[in-house]
Amino acid sequence: MAKRVQDQKPARAKDAQAWLTENIAEQKKRFQAIVKEMEELGPEREKWVEEFLHIVQTRGFNADGDRRVIIKPEQIAKKPKGPHKVIF
Amino acid sequence: MARPHIEPYVELNEPFKKFDIAGFKGSHYKVLSLDVDTGACTLKVRFDGGYKRKPGMSYSDVEIFVLNGTIKVGKEKWVEGHYAFIPAGVATGAIEVPQGAEAIVMYNDGEPTFVESDRNHRLALTAASKAFNTYVDAPWAPGNLVSPSVASGCLIKVLHYDPLTEAISFLYCMTPQFAQDNISYHDCAEESYHIWGTSWMMQFGDLPTGGYFWRPPYINHGSFRCKYGTIAFGRTDSKLHNYFHYNPWTNPDENKLRAAAKLYRARPELYQWMASDGHNHPHGPPDFEFADYQDDSQVRLLHGHPVGKSSGARKKKARRK
Repeated sequence: MAKRVQDQKPARAKDAQAWLTENIAEQKKRFQAIVKEMEELGPEREKWVEEFLHIVQTRGFNADGDRRVIIKPEQIAKKPKGPHKVIF
Repeated sequence: MARPHIEPYVELNEPFKKFDIAGFKGSHYKVLSLDVDTGACTLKVRFDGGYKRKPGMSYSDVEIFVLNGTIKVGKEKWVEGHYAFIPAGVATGAIEVPQGAEAIVMYNDGEPTFVESDRNHRLALTAASKAFNTYVDAPWAPGNLVSPSVASGCLIKVLHYDPLTEAISFLYCMTPQFAQDNISYHDCAEESYHIWGTSWMMQFGDLPTGGYFWRPPYINHGSFRCKYGTIAFGRTDSKLHNYFHYNPWTNPDENKLRAAAKLYRARPELYQWMASDGHNHPHGPPDFEFADYQDDSQVRLLHGHPVGKSSGARKKKARRK
């Protein structure tokens, strides 16, 4: 087995663990704020989706680079029930 | 759960915090994203005028992209647009920042660590070291380095390529009036920091200057617009393949199934072999070309195996089932 520098790392120092704990807590808050912000964007996103679906059926969908393919109405997926989630 | 999905995050209005870990005192930071298991992170760091640090190394691979100011590193001067990949254990020269500087600093394997040393660790993979100015010493290339590719008007400079994981670090730009009418997702995590400019994605809206995302695999993004142009620093954690489609409502599980179905169709022998009994190699099958690849820290982290003192829980939990 080839040894790597990373395997020689000493146990995490107390100050580093405290730094990590503090910043993980802040990141959780940041994540929740992003989720809220993205949920609030929902109504506007609905319009963007509508516009996108119109474009792919008229000007086409970028299948590869600048090659566009016009999508037929029957190829458009039905919107599922429930909120449109974008953050996972 | 590794790094959560942080998108979009605009850091410019957030305050810097004092960096109080040994080796970093005298600088300030903002966390852009943080792996809660390993401590691997992407930071925006502000080095105040007068910052000094003795020569030393980290136990993690480190990447640095200088946003502004001048950082003296040993005999080199790193200025705006400078990129460095510093493998774990490689000692960098003394650092001095006479008049202040800001940089994106990435620790790939663990939390920020610094050990004072004027010589490399005996296990350091020194050949991977690089430091150059991306604005001056790297040409723009078309964005079609993978197929299917992005539309014309998205250009790229590849700064670092990991031959084992095929992860890349890169600069990219979108020309004014760039548009791409598809929805994309990838098998890899993707990260970006907007150095300048605003772009737009159908799911997340505008991402302006100072905007950042860390996006786990299989998450829809696009269509895309950029009105006045954008330049950004980006990374992936493994191979980038563009899965394009036009269903706005799919979730990561469905996207992953679609990716697996593509593998089933396009590489049937490999798929059947991997799916069959007795070929479940949890640490990866043997590779006559890269015999030691299972020991590589990035490969291990991607598969949720321990690295150093980390729990190794990273991707196993984060990647979608």
